[in-house]
This record gives sequence, C-alpha cells and structure tokens, in this order.
Amino acid sequence: MKNALILAGLLVLTSLAVFGQGYPTQPADALIFPIGEAGTVYEDMQLGVRGGTITVANIEDPKGWNNHTAHETSTTHFTNRMHRGLVNLDHISGAIVPDFAKGWEISDDGLVITFSLREGIKWSDGEPITADDVLFTYNDVILNEDVDTNARDSQLLPDGTYPLCEKVDDYTVTFTMSVIYRPALNALSFNIMPKHKLADSVHKLNPAVPAGTFNETWTLDTPLSELVGNGPWIVSDYQPNVSVTMTRNPYYYGYDPSGTQLPYYDTYVSAIVTNQDVSMLKFRNGETDVYLLRPEDIAILLPEGASKGFQILITDQPGYGTTWFMPNQDIGLAEGTDNEKRELYRNVKFREALAHTIDKETMIQNVLNGLGGPQWSPVSVPSPFYAGRDFYGGPITENNAITFEYDPAKAAGILDELGVIDADGDGWRDLPSGDPLTIEINSNDNTVRIGYCLILQDDWRAIGLNATFQVVDFNTLVNRLFGASGDVIQLGLTGGDEPNSGANVYRSCGSLHAYRYSACDEPDEIDARIDELLALGAGTFDLDEAFDYYTEYQQLISAQLGYINMVVRSFQYAYYDYVGNAFKSSPISTPGGNNGLLMELCFDNRL
Amino acid sequence: MKRNGLRALGLASCVVALFSLLSVAVDLNTIVANELIDEINLAAGLNLVDEYIANYTVEELEDLAVKGLTPGIKLAADRALFKLNGGLEPFIAMEDEDLLAKAIDGDMDAAEAYVFNTRVGLTKPQAVLDAIATAESVALEYAYGKVLGGFYGPGSPVGEKTEAELLELVASGSYGERIAAATALTTYWILNSDLDHVDVEREILAHTQTELGLAYQGFLTYLYSL
Repeated sequence: MKNALILAGLLVLTSLAVFGQGYPTQPADALIFPIGEAGTVYEDMQLGVRGGTITVANIEDPKGWNNHTAHETSTTHFTNRMHRGLVNLDHISGAIVPDFAKGWEISDDGLVITFSLREGIKWSDGEPITADDVLFTYNDVILNEDVDTNARDSQLLPDGTYPLCEKVDDYTVTFTMSVIYRPALNALSFNIMPKHKLADSVHKLNPAVPAGTFNETWTLDTPLSELVGNGPWIVSDYQPNVSVTMTRNPYYYGYDPSGTQLPYYDTYVSAIVTNQDVSMLKFRNGETDVYLLRPEDIAILLPEGASKGFQILITDQPGYGTTWFMPNQDIGLAEGTDNEKRELYRNVKFREALAHTIDKETMIQNVLNGLGGPQWSPVSVPSPFYAGRDFYGGPITENNAITFEYDPAKAAGILDELGVIDADGDGWRDLPSGDPLTIEINSNDNTVRIGYCLILQDDWRAIGLNATFQVVDFNTLVNRLFGASGDVIQLGLTGGDEPNSGANVYRSCGSLHAYRYSACDEPDEIDARIDELLALGAGTFDLDEAFDYYTEYQQLISAQLGYINMVVRSFQYAYYDYVGNAFKSSPISTPGGNNGLLMELCFDNRL
Repeated sequence: MKRNGLRALGLASCVVALFSLLSVAVDLNTIVANELIDEINLAAGLNLVDEYIANYTVEELEDLAVKGLTPGIKLAADRALFKLNGGLEPFIAMEDEDLLAKAIDGDMDAAEAYVFNTRVGLTKPQAVLDAIATAESVALEYAYGKVLGGFYGPGSPVGEKTEAELLELVASGSYGERIAAATALTTYWILNSDLDHVDVEREILAHTQTELGLAYQGFLTYLYSL
C-alpha cells in the first residue's frame, strides 16, 4: 500500500502538466484568510509554507466525480475539495462568509440577494469563471428535474417555488425569491460547476444528448484531465481500492495575508482502506497524518502520541450530524412483497416500541467511552435550534424534546398490544397473522455503528424480536437506502446549524426521505405539517419565531420516528505535530473532514 | 537471574561499564551490539528498525531475528520484518478465533491484533481489568495491559492515574496491571520528565523490577529517537 501511495504521488507530479500555470500575481479579488491576524478567529494560527503532501485515509472508493449527482460522502469528500460556491462556512467559526462571491447585498424587502463575484478568477484549466457558470449550475443543473441531485430540495422556498437566478453582468448575479427565505445564504452555498465543460451533457441545453446524460457525466470512467474545478484541489490520480490523489489547483483564489496562494500542501492523498481499523493503524504507523478517532482508539493511541509525535484532541463538543436507524416503511412496496411487515413498520406504535429499546446510556458508555450524549431530534446538537436537553452540562431548551426512555418491558407491552407475539412457541415474536417476523439490521463496517447495532440486536432479541445484524459495505448500504430495498438500516447523516438544510431528508418529497419515499405521493397529516413547518421556519427572519416552528418540527419528527435517533459522539481528533494549524480542528472543520475546509489552511511545519 | 547477575556485576565491580555512558553521542549500533543491560539494548534496537529495513535483505533479517547476537539486534530485525510484512494489518484481517489461538500460544502480535479487533467493549478501565482477569495467556495479558495503560496515562478521559499511583501499581499489581502502569509511566515521563538518556540509563541500572524497567525502556526508546 505504501508503495502504491508513493506511486500515486509520483503520478501527481507528472500530471501537473495538464493544469495551467496559475496566476502571475495575486488576483485583486483573491479570498484572503486572515491567518495570524489579531482579533480574528484565525489569530492563533500560523502562516504556512507551500509544499509537501498531506495523507489521510478514507473508507470506500468514490462513486464518481460529479458533485451534484453524488449522494454519498465517499464521493463528496473529493468533490467538495474540487468545487466551491458563492458562500461557504468560515473555516474556523462556521459562520456563512463569502467564497467565490466577494460579497452580497440583500434588498430591503429581503427578497433579492445580489452577489458580486470575484473578477479575474479562473477554473483549474485556465478558463475564466463568470456569472454564466453560476447560472448554469443553478438553473441548468440544480433546478433541472432531469438531474438527480440532492441540492434541489434545500432550494425550495416556503411557497413551493425556487429562487430566480439571473445575470446582471459577467460578475453580478441575483437570486430573487417570491417569499422571505432566511436560510437562503446557506442554500446558496452550492458548489459551482464549469459550464464550458458540462453544458453539452445537459439535455435541455443540448437536445442531441438524451435526458439524464448529466447524471452519467464525470463518472469514474471520465479521464481525470476532463475534471475542472474552482476549489483548492483537483483530482489528479485515482487508483481503485488504493488511493485518490488531488493536486493543488493553480488557479484557486484563496490566499494567506502574506500573499501565499493556498492550499499550502502541494498534494493531498487519500488512501482507500477497507475499514476504519486499517485507517487507524495507518495513522498509528505514520502513514497518514490526521485521523478522526473513535472512542475505542483512545486508549491505544494515547500512550503512543508523546513518543510518536501526535496529538489527540478529546473534547466534549458535540459533533454535527445525526445517528439513527430506520425501519424501511416502504419495504417490499415496489416488489409487492412483505405487505404485512410493511404495514407493521408503518405503524408508529411499532416504531415507538423500537424507540423504547434504544439503550442510549449503554451505547454512550460502552461504545462512545462516555464521550457522547443522547440525540432526540433530527437537528444537529450544536445547532442553536436543537430542541434537545441535558446534553453536556445542562438543558439547552428544557422540555422541548420528545423522548422515549429505555424500557424494554414497555416495548414488549406495545408489541403484545399490536399482536406481535410468539404465536408458534418458537421463542420469537411473529407478525399478527402468525407468519414469522425476521428483522435484518444493516450498517457498514464501522466499529461505532457495529457497537450500536449489536446493542440494538441484543435488546431486540431479548424481547423476542428475531433480529440479526449484518455488516454491508458502505456503498451497498447507500444503494439500499436510496433504493428503498433495505429492512432496517443504521446510519448517520451530516448536519449543520440550519434545520432547513435537512429539508432533503425530512420533507415528504425529499430525495433522502428514505424511511418512506412513498410519502411524497401519499403524505399524511404529519408529513404535510412537517413540510409546512420547514417552510415557516425558513420563511421568517425572526429567530424566536423560527425557533418555535423548528421546535414543533423536531417534536413531530421525533414522535413520527421515521429516522429513529440514537446518540451523538463528542468531537475527537488526532494529528501529527508536523501538520501546522491542525490544532484548530473542530466539529466545524478538520483537515481530513468531508467539507475539506481546514485542510487548505494546514501545512507541513517541517518544511 | 541473568539480568540481575549482570547488574550485580556492574554495580559491584564497575568492570562492566554501560557502553552508552562512555560517550556523549549516542551510537545506537554500538549500543545494540555491545550493551549488556537488556532494557538499554532493546531501546537501541527499537530505534534501528528502519535502518535494518534499509540495510538488510529479508533473508538477512530473518537470520538476525533468530541468530542476532543481542536481544536488541533480534528485536530490531524482528520488528523490521513485522513492518515489511504490513505490521498489524494482516493480523487484524485474520479471524478472531485464529488470532486467539495464536495468542494463547504466546504470539504477541496475534494477541495485540486479537485485543485490537475485540476492543469495542473495552471502553472503561474496569472492562479491561475484567478481560485481563480472564486472559488465557501472558501474551493476552500483556496486550490488554497495554490498552489499560492508555486509560491510566496522561490525558485519558477516564482512569488517569498520578505518577505515584503508577509507581505503586507497577510494583504491586497483577501482570496486566503492571504492564498498564509501565505503559502509562512511559507516557508520563515523555511528557513530564527532564531526564536525559544518561539519567534514564542510570535509573535502569538502579532498578530491578521488571515492569519498571520496561517503563524506563519505553522512555529511553523515545529519548534515543530524538
């Protein structure tokens, strides 16, 4: 593997020739990160030097290179490094800040946002980036029903329309909304794609290609020299099952205050590993530079950090994202099978029974090493809108959460009431008809998830549910999620501060409404109210009002138990001392994280 | 007995000098070839692994791992082979029952891999102590002890012990606890001690307790690496 990584690095050097030469001088409209500047959240960071390679490990190969058709982090991990949007999260504070846009203005009525774009900025192949690329990405990709993208859901306005994106001039675009949409800036962080490279694959722009062609564009079969981005990195080599290598984009527009173009590292290598244990060993052996450690890694790595020169950040900061399991309420729907099981899964009382079997305290203590807390809502715990309680030292919003205490006896009682009893005396509960009920829980090869699932499996079996846990690879799991072909799936979702960013998950027609896709065609009253609350919460600039809407939204979702929330772990990270600025790792960004934000500010301090 | 005999010889007659004390500059190859005190010899050997990989063929390493003239040479060659073969990765890919069988037979790498693969439940010191209590071999006790050392060492979110507690435990605990204390002491000293390699070599010479020696050996391994 090590030799393969070295080879990958060498290939990168040879592939530099495919890129342009970069800017002769720092562009006037460069994005400056105030590294080391007093009074900013960057003040304790160091100016870096360019050079070197940062190596991380990832589980699973990417499934393609197309950012807007990707549904899985194994792909977006790379595309998020290749593309940037008009706005972004501040790499350190997490606030919404300008990115490819150098600024914006919101009209007095709150309905028009005008973005000023950075002038003189180029794609990685040297072509200029203009308003046309923004319009192409928004109007022809994201809002194009022909394109299979997750990005569309979060653009939907409370009244069911989408913002109107228009070009004012080559470096000015406007988004006009029919109603107030407070999270507009969050939503407009979508990654910008190069029109000159991709327009021909969009059927509405080029009728010569069949509908859906864009969904098959920039696949793993695409020559890497075809990939063009505006982000800090460009994919320059891919060895299936071995590594993905990204090379600095010579035309990236991020700079430090001393005029050094970012990112500092020349090369980013992601080793593809079979599981997180191998990932951990690679970090431990010094083959990778950073590592998002798991609770069970701490005792092994702690004694070695001092001698090997790495640091371990152990914090009580809750991470973003959610962890859940979901009974597939559409199981067998497409095939016309599993009718009774599907009916059972659709019964909220059955899901309540399952919710009462989640031994969150044992999960936290035994799987998370005590470094975590319960999750009661679909909103990330660090979000100011989180309506949970008693997480990390006290109530956030007392009494707002809908909770299901761990009570196996209560769960068993509910199952009895539903007629889910052991009809044939074999020791396992059966469907009300008397047919056997078997449940397969799936997750991927992730020790934390395996830990959760084994606890779940044991508790379910203890009350007579014939449950078995099976590990499947991540991309298979994602396929089952999107294909509504799984039984019970345990997984997690990334999150953020703004609840509306989960609209693609919780809206009844959301592209990730995986627990019951059929809700899009057959929404019940609760589905309809959730859709409405998402719209209302997004439709007001009054944060208190939004909080109230989002509280009800969280309560309904928590009671509806589509995705049944489990626990969230606190933030822990490990990095070698020579990775400058890695100490700023946080739930917002890490050098190896999926948003790729902190990586461009890190450097090899041995150079 | 052999080791204590060497200590007695060295201390009583001053005939046997510590090679590492003879010069200010640390020549690891000289130490590993000549040093008579095991802990010092092994600490030097552990720092020569990459050099051995660079300078010896696999066949030569296999030969040295068995016939090396000192424990440090054998260890350096053995760990070089281990690293060349992918370290722990091929072990953790094995079935747990196979690893366990090897661990019961005394294979230290298999024991480490077995504990690694089954560590998900070992998220509290007591869970590790329970595992130590039922470990079926010294190799497994050692491997569990290393994990327990992580809980006892500096920075641990649960179970951190003071230096005094660790010094007491390293002399009085069960074998697994002594390994844990030694592991944690090494970390503690790396982070907090001002001793240099000469001081540590003297400490090794002055102590006979096996696991305390192991703790100093770990610290010395680090100091030699600087």
